[in-house]
Amino acid sequence: MSTYEEEHGTTGSNASDRRDLRSQLHSLYQENGTSNALLQMLSQLIPESMQEELLEDTKDGCPDNYIDSLPRIKKKDLKEQESCSICCCNYKDDEYPLVVELPHCSHRFDLECVAVWLSKSTTCPLCRDDVLSHKPKIDVSQVEMEDEWGMYG
Amino acid sequence: MASLPKRIIKETERLVLDPVPGINAVPHEDNLRYFQVTIEGPQQSPYEDGVFELELFLPDDYPMEAPKVRFLTKIYHPNIDRLGRICLDVLKANWSPALQIRTVLLSVQALLASPNPNDPLANDVAEDWLKHEDEAIAKAREWTKQYASRK
Repeated sequence: MSTYEEEHGTTGSNASDRRDLRSQLHSLYQENGTSNALLQMLSQLIPESMQEELLEDTKDGCPDNYIDSLPRIKKKDLKEQESCSICCCNYKDDEYPLVVELPHCSHRFDLECVAVWLSKSTTCPLCRDDVLSHKPKIDVSQVEMEDEWGMYG
Repeated sequence: MASLPKRIIKETERLVLDPVPGINAVPHEDNLRYFQVTIEGPQQSPYEDGVFELELFLPDDYPMEAPKVRFLTKIYHPNIDRLGRICLDVLKANWSPALQIRTVLLSVQALLASPNPNDPLANDVAEDWLKHEDEAIAKAREWTKQYASRK
């Protein structure tokens, strides 16, 4: 029986070459920002499947580990009528509210609500503060590695 | 029908009980995510005395995704094209899940009060607006009278 790698033409060594190339392209991309010329150049050089991965990396959302790291608010620190501006529900309607605070602007939301938003955006829903701008950039190469392991596992 | 998020129910209740002046939004009885909307043209704008019909739809991902809003009444405006599509930042890149139906409709009303020909959607209208502003405004008034008169 053929393995996944053989079927998809991604043998081990190939995958690591690919990863090197991808990280090079990624750093090039970050240095140059969203330069159209660069994107066009890249689109001629690399296969479509890889372009998607490259663009995924620079997609707008926050990394999962950032979202998981948001400080949680204790139930006793929540005001009686305080509500989440995303779902419009009072926190205390829930017996076990799971509320987080964004580190810089201190706006609060249900974790469940804000997690969905931050997976596709990096701004606070209430004040548009760029939540990632106050933190050093998280190394995405590690995240990618894990993704690939997950695929083969 | 799939259950409606609590937020949509709350927003709808408030729209009915505590409406925004000059804006009316009523959910369709068969589809509570679909609203029939009317917006009165702001005073001292070329759309004054007009009542504009719009449709507003809340996609499945709302409020993570912006509502879809479209003019049904014909309107001469540099940021609204002939299909009624609206060029408005909060409906696209600047959408936030803390915004609501009422805030979006207020933004649309504000867009009627201050057309922005430098960020056009209807290119021909915007060009007119920049080159012959007086004529463009006169035409907007004329269209308002013709298509958006109170019935």
